[in-house]
Amino acid sequence: MARPNLEAHILTPGRGKDTMTIEISVFMMINGLAQGMLLFIIASGLTLVFGVLRVINFAHGSFYMIGAYLAFSLSTLLTGGSLSSFLTLMLVAPPAIAVIGFFLEISLFRKVYREEHLVQLLLTYALVLILDDLVRVIWGGDPRNVMRPALLAGSVDIMGMQLPTYNVFILAVGPIVAVGLWYLLHRTRAGNLMRAAVTYPDTLGSLGVNVSWVMTSTFMLGCWLAGLGGVLMAHLASVDLGIGMEKIIECFAVVVIGGLGSVVGALLGSLIIGVGITMLQLPFGRWALVFPYFVMALVLVIRPWGLFGKPER
Amino acid sequence: MALFVLPFILVRLGRTGEFWIWVTTEMIIMALFSMSLNLILGFGGMVSFGHAAFFGAGAYTVALLMKKAGVPMALALLAAPVVAAICAAVIGWFCVRLIGLYFAILTLAFSQLLYMIVFQWYTFTGGDDGIHGIPRPDWLTPEYYYLLCLVIFLFCFLLMRMIVNSSFGLTIRTIRENMERAKFIGINVRRYQWLNFIIAGSFAGVAGGLLTLLNRFAQTEFLHWSRSADPILASLVGGMYSFVGPAIGAAALIFLKIFSQQLHKGLVEVWAIILGLILLAVVLFAPSGLVGLYQRLFEKSKS
Repeated sequence: MARPNLEAHILTPGRGKDTMTIEISVFMMINGLAQGMLLFIIASGLTLVFGVLRVINFAHGSFYMIGAYLAFSLSTLLTGGSLSSFLTLMLVAPPAIAVIGFFLEISLFRKVYREEHLVQLLLTYALVLILDDLVRVIWGGDPRNVMRPALLAGSVDIMGMQLPTYNVFILAVGPIVAVGLWYLLHRTRAGNLMRAAVTYPDTLGSLGVNVSWVMTSTFMLGCWLAGLGGVLMAHLASVDLGIGMEKIIECFAVVVIGGLGSVVGALLGSLIIGVGITMLQLPFGRWALVFPYFVMALVLVIRPWGLFGKPER
Repeated sequence: MALFVLPFILVRLGRTGEFWIWVTTEMIIMALFSMSLNLILGFGGMVSFGHAAFFGAGAYTVALLMKKAGVPMALALLAAPVVAAICAAVIGWFCVRLIGLYFAILTLAFSQLLYMIVFQWYTFTGGDDGIHGIPRPDWLTPEYYYLLCLVIFLFCFLLMRMIVNSSFGLTIRTIRENMERAKFIGINVRRYQWLNFIIAGSFAGVAGGLLTLLNRFAQTEFLHWSRSADPILASLVGGMYSFVGPAIGAAALIFLKIFSQQLHKGLVEVWAIILGLILLAVVLFAPSGLVGLYQRLFEKSKS
């Protein structure tokens, strides 16, 4: 059954005789930020899809999981661990998820946009059941590991600390995705259409824009982000059947904290969750995993529309 | 009536009979769980994705009281709805402040919070090992346990029907139909929803306690959010705007699962896929569920 994937969060500090508390804190902080960035890549997809389609997609976690498993399969086909195979994975797997998303959007999601929330939630939940079980049938229940490319496998020396190169890499990819999304949403025509579809879908339609196509593209973008997160995660920790269910709940926490539909909010929420879980492990150990749910409940009680969201009409 | 005699026929069938008693007992318990959810889902119009919290609260109450404190079964079963109601009162107090999607997410957040606490608190709840080997009185054979569950179920059933048909139940339905209007005519919407949430939670607690005794263990899976989805599916399949719909849905789903298992061992491997497909079909084609389908067919043949 779905269990929280502990390995993904528990990271070992660098070995050294004089590991001081501050040093460990900084170390944990950086790892936490890396976790947060990974979470952001996935959660931004969820929030974008919600913003435009007004559907909370439970299956987003499943897309992420399929991305991770796809990365595993592709890496066994290619020479695992080489840089070229890593780059191929990054280029192939996320678009493949986007294609899956495309077919699901035009065949299923499109039918329920005008329905009530319960129907939408249940539709995506049905997809979770189907997709998660398909993954189990295809890939089996064993945890899978994907080898990191040599370039990213070791550790780098930053301010006297040995940091895993891969975590630093994710730390760099996160902002690139964030800036890319910002540029896409605010500086391109496609982004303008997406943002218009969030606020005035009907007006946009009457202006002669094919709104359902805007929705489909947004959905595909969301799936692409989920797939990207999956590929990145596959190289970070072991991939098993629980990761989808676990991550979708974390994404919910992120999106709720930041505000449904807000990309900036998702960034902030992800960093709060990622850093929070990692840093709180020092004083609280495994209890730190309670943190996201606690913050989520807290934000919903105090400011239900999230830090960057707007109150529902 | 037939339900009362059923176990005594089944017990003559030997092992398969015992298996079916177990299955029917589970059906009864899940039917109770689903009906308890439907008090808020169908009648209250509040989509809760955290009902497993109260199911689990009841389950763990019975497990802890009987295993660790040695409390007799009857008392433990009475304590289950009380503890569940307390949990529901605390969680509900926050949740009824929100509506729609936000309500659904907050219930989910709280139930996951509870799940994580139970999951992490090894010394008290046994973490993900759960609590095993809960003692059950010797006289309580499977068929007597079935009867016990049935009696409790019928009692809860009548109680819930009384609630639904009372003025309280009518008020709840008014709120579902038009919350603004309910506010205008002076109904304290939040308080009614809160009370309804507590009532639904305590019935879920009864169901959780009964399932713990049936399995003789309690585990974290009882609290996981995917467990919250089970009664929603049952309500949807059965028909959530009818009183008995969820019970029918729950029984039908369990029966279908066992049936597919008997039909072919491989089918139960892909049970989640089957369930997902059923759910898709219901969502897309028959939103009023089995009861709605039956009514439609029945009305057609009448005219």
